[in-house]
Amino acid sequence: MRVGMPHMGNIYIPFKALFQRLNIDFVIPPVSNQRTLSLGVKYSPEGLCIPFKLTLGNLIEAAELGADTLLMPGGYGICRLGYYAKTQEQILHDLGYNVEMIQVGVSEKKLFGILEMIKHLSNNAPWSKIISAFRFGLTKLNALDKVERVVQKVRARERIKGTANHLFAKAVKAIDRADDYDTLKKVQTEYIDQLNQVAKFTQAQPLLVGIIGEFYVVLEPFSNLDIENELGKLGVEVRRRLFISEWTKFSLFLNPLGVNETDRIHKAALPYLKRDIGGDGWESVGEKVLHAKEYDGLVHLAPFTCMPEIIAQNIMPKTKEVIPVLTILCDEQLAKPGTLTRLEAFVDLLERKRRSKDRQQRVLV
Amino acid sequence: MIKIGIPRALLYYQYYPMWQTFFEELGAEVVVSPPTTRLMLLNGSSRLVADTCLPVKVFVGHVLSLVGKCDYILIPAIRSVKSKIYNCSKFLGLPDMTRAVVPESPPILDIEIDVNQGKRSLYQAIYKLGRCFTWNPFKVRRAAIAAWQAHLNYLELMTSHRLPPPQAIEKIAGVAEAERRTHSSQPASTQATIALIGHPYLLYDEHINHRLIHRLEQAHNKVLTPEMLTAEELQSATARVVGRAYWTYEGEVVGVGEHYLRSGADGVIGIMVFGCGPDSVMMDMVKRQAARLRATPFMSITLEEHTAEAGIVTRLEAFLDMIDRRKRRQSKVYA
Repeated sequence: MRVGMPHMGNIYIPFKALFQRLNIDFVIPPVSNQRTLSLGVKYSPEGLCIPFKLTLGNLIEAAELGADTLLMPGGYGICRLGYYAKTQEQILHDLGYNVEMIQVGVSEKKLFGILEMIKHLSNNAPWSKIISAFRFGLTKLNALDKVERVVQKVRARERIKGTANHLFAKAVKAIDRADDYDTLKKVQTEYIDQLNQVAKFTQAQPLLVGIIGEFYVVLEPFSNLDIENELGKLGVEVRRRLFISEWTKFSLFLNPLGVNETDRIHKAALPYLKRDIGGDGWESVGEKVLHAKEYDGLVHLAPFTCMPEIIAQNIMPKTKEVIPVLTILCDEQLAKPGTLTRLEAFVDLLERKRRSKDRQQRVLV
Repeated sequence: MIKIGIPRALLYYQYYPMWQTFFEELGAEVVVSPPTTRLMLLNGSSRLVADTCLPVKVFVGHVLSLVGKCDYILIPAIRSVKSKIYNCSKFLGLPDMTRAVVPESPPILDIEIDVNQGKRSLYQAIYKLGRCFTWNPFKVRRAAIAAWQAHLNYLELMTSHRLPPPQAIEKIAGVAEAERRTHSSQPASTQATIALIGHPYLLYDEHINHRLIHRLEQAHNKVLTPEMLTAEELQSATARVVGRAYWTYEGEVVGVGEHYLRSGADGVIGIMVFGCGPDSVMMDMVKRQAARLRATPFMSITLEEHTAEAGIVTRLEAFLDMIDRRKRRQSKVYA
């Protein structure tokens, strides 16, 4: 059995660590690229969103490399995602790949469902081994996200553009290579130190832009043209709520205990949107309300034809809390020059806004 | 008397008799918006972001046409009407979205229907709705029971008399159709039997689909629609293709498609709108099934605001010609 799965950011690294420790044959398809997208677009129904098309491309490329068991998230009560595994399986079969799809229920089965799936994949390895491997995978995931948080800060302030990215790429490789907890810990602190020591501009506080929107397009840099990096190049500090490690922590461990990080966001959204509409629509509205005071602007990422985000997009301009929002719809037609122009214009607008705010404050003082 | 506005769009075709009975039992008057016009669609789409789907734009147009004509507008958020089968996000966000984009609308009666939450919360939702009119829970209960009976009668009327929803609603509730037509004068010799699959709000809104049913009937074709099948037939057909249904209205598309592709029709036409989330995957399932079965010709038409009438007519003619040729060839072979 060779296991394959689609990409989303660096999520393949923790899974690789997990599967290696359990001796599961794991195929990593090439990181999402133009070919992945072309394959996905060619074989998908036209009206589907970019997450479907890219993950289909990943799965085809994994199948080409000999994977016969494919993992795909799914579940009930969320947007179209619950239908993806079913459709993708049919497409792969029609293309002649003899693969088995395993739908990983993210909404109903929670932690135990995932552990059981891993047990099934690992040919009934003992529970102790599974749990220790799972823990190691989680630690890697946390290390990756911790370094990335620092990178987000450094990118906006570094004197030589690209230093943070260079270090981050090295850190990702080192984390991927790390084989035990000690090395992992060492790698993590070492790179965070290095990042903190990068030469920085310190005079001005950079603009603060929050990234909100749909899970996949926020977390997969290929689908959003690596927008965080582009904003960083423009000297903007980027913040986002969505990190895979955070999401895992809450949805697998804390939510069953009744602790929910999104409660605060939902409460903020309540006057405008009363209920969960699937996907991340509720959160998008809530985060706009919540961050209106805190951030200079928001970039709202949504896949084209995404149902929950369309609702959010319709509601967001009508909230009382005002903050500039740039909505970028991601699909296979999204091109770099056009997006960069829009981003530059947006950042200019935010800068002007901040200058006028400063001037007003000076007058008041 | 309190006037309740009900937009003639989206779920109207599924539930109107039920809603009407409920409100009339409670002593309110029901106002239905007029059939869709171009102006309504234009008004609706001017309020929404461009990539919102066509039926929702039409819906907002209907809400706008009701402004000033009623005291409340009924826009329920229907999450789920069957255990673990959910509705499209747009239905859930409908009341809040309408409130955001039509600030001048009368107060919106939004109740959330989700059978997964158990009977108690369903009853509470119904009582909450009834509370707008009366404090007496027994009166609400009586109205709800009468409404349910009206719904059952409506379903029964559609399957037993093979009536499409607009005519069934006319018969039960007396809401006139968009255009009076003589359906009974079916020609003696029908050219072909064409099955239509898709949601009622697409099949029966003549402005959205450019009078598709009328055109097919004019060309002497017999038209089959989703409500002519019973719930059991739909369920078993859906199960054959996708196993357990995922969307609330999956039967209308996948189930009906599978049923008519196998038998009973000379051609199947799927109607969907651009940007419809559930349909984009469901229509694809039907397409794949059609290719696998190779029994009945299948065509899918994607509608949007810019769909030109001439384009649809041309495609329809070509499809009907193809079916005609196919039938002639088959009869030659067997003769």
